[in-house]
Amino acid sequence: MELSTEVQEGLQLCGDSAQISDPAFNFLVKSACETLLQGRQRDRDVLDDPSVTQADPAVLKQVFASLTTLLLEAAKHNTDSTNTSSLLEDCKMSPDRIEAFNNVYMSNRTELQSVLSSTGSGFPHIVDVDWRLDYYIKNNHLDHVNEPTYLVTLKTEEPGSSELKDVQFACTVEQLQDMVGKLKDACKSMEKASQT
Amino acid sequence: MLLVLADEHKEHLGFLNEVEVEVVKEFCRIAMEFIRSGPNPKLYQSAAQKLGVASETVQHGVEGLMFLLTESARYMISEIDFQDSIMTLGFSDDLRSVLLQLYLSNRGEIRTVLSEMSMDLPHYHNLEWRLEVTVAGRTLRHQVTPRLMMKLHTQDSGEKDVQVLQTDPVNLLHLTQVLEGALSEMKSTHCRRIVRNIK
Repeated sequence: MELSTEVQEGLQLCGDSAQISDPAFNFLVKSACETLLQGRQRDRDVLDDPSVTQADPAVLKQVFASLTTLLLEAAKHNTDSTNTSSLLEDCKMSPDRIEAFNNVYMSNRTELQSVLSSTGSGFPHIVDVDWRLDYYIKNNHLDHVNEPTYLVTLKTEEPGSSELKDVQFACTVEQLQDMVGKLKDACKSMEKASQT
Repeated sequence: MLLVLADEHKEHLGFLNEVEVEVVKEFCRIAMEFIRSGPNPKLYQSAAQKLGVASETVQHGVEGLMFLLTESARYMISEIDFQDSIMTLGFSDDLRSVLLQLYLSNRGEIRTVLSEMSMDLPHYHNLEWRLEVTVAGRTLRHQVTPRLMMKLHTQDSGEKDVQVLQTDPVNLLHLTQVLEGALSEMKSTHCRRIVRNIK
């Protein structure tokens, strides 16, 4: 795992007790993690917290950015605390602060990884399905059609959009049987794959 | 049910009574061609010249025949009803049996053509699937995420559309269960009763 010079500089500043006091450090690590997990609402609160008001705002910004980068990169590569410890030692951070960081990191690592896995591009992901059964009696060209018709709506999630999108289609009984047959095949092969 | 023919329609069809049965059979063939691929004005001209009548008369005769066939096919008129309906036209027995034969042998085809004209919703055509495992991405390394990729082929009045979708094992099982429930709904007493009683 490699970090850029700016990030390493930021981490060094972070470890410097003259720039960032101990309570400020603890607060910054926790709020960096929270911002990543819960979204951007917390950004403004960080600067207002009493423990960081004495620090220089430019320094705060760099330190906060470095901490978030380190958390994300570490979660991305699934590194454990020994690796992060050696990295922070290279940045001349005190063992107390390293331990504080590792505690926050390790306890939130899985959550960070699930946020990372849902970020990114992909195809519409089916999450639910609705259906309706109609009896097609006639139309304006033809009488006595008399065919049962299913209307199926697949509800999909797309990365980067919080709304569900619908994929709709109609099918006859035979077509739905064909589709369900294929889905059952897929289920069976999924079960077989999970057993080997 | 009996077809009620408009007076104008009866006039147009009246022409068929004035020509020989062989000519009527030829007209029947032209009418079927009209239903399949549209009108052919040149044919009307040449037929009119051979018979010594105005080409308009020929055209009306063919169109009248075609309308008779499509309306009968649309309402799925039975043999007896068809014969009763054309009784009012005063055709000879020969002519009537020729028309009946024409109707019965082409009814299925006419209904198919009519159904192609009617409104269609995008309907299911095929579903292809494959099972994959995501091992890494730009945002996260060291993953083992199973994924089912699907290609849904749909058709809407001849236009084909393909959509690529994905799902995970849990949602796949849920999807299969829900759609199986939908299929079994067809076998319930309520649905069977409706299908039996609406004919």
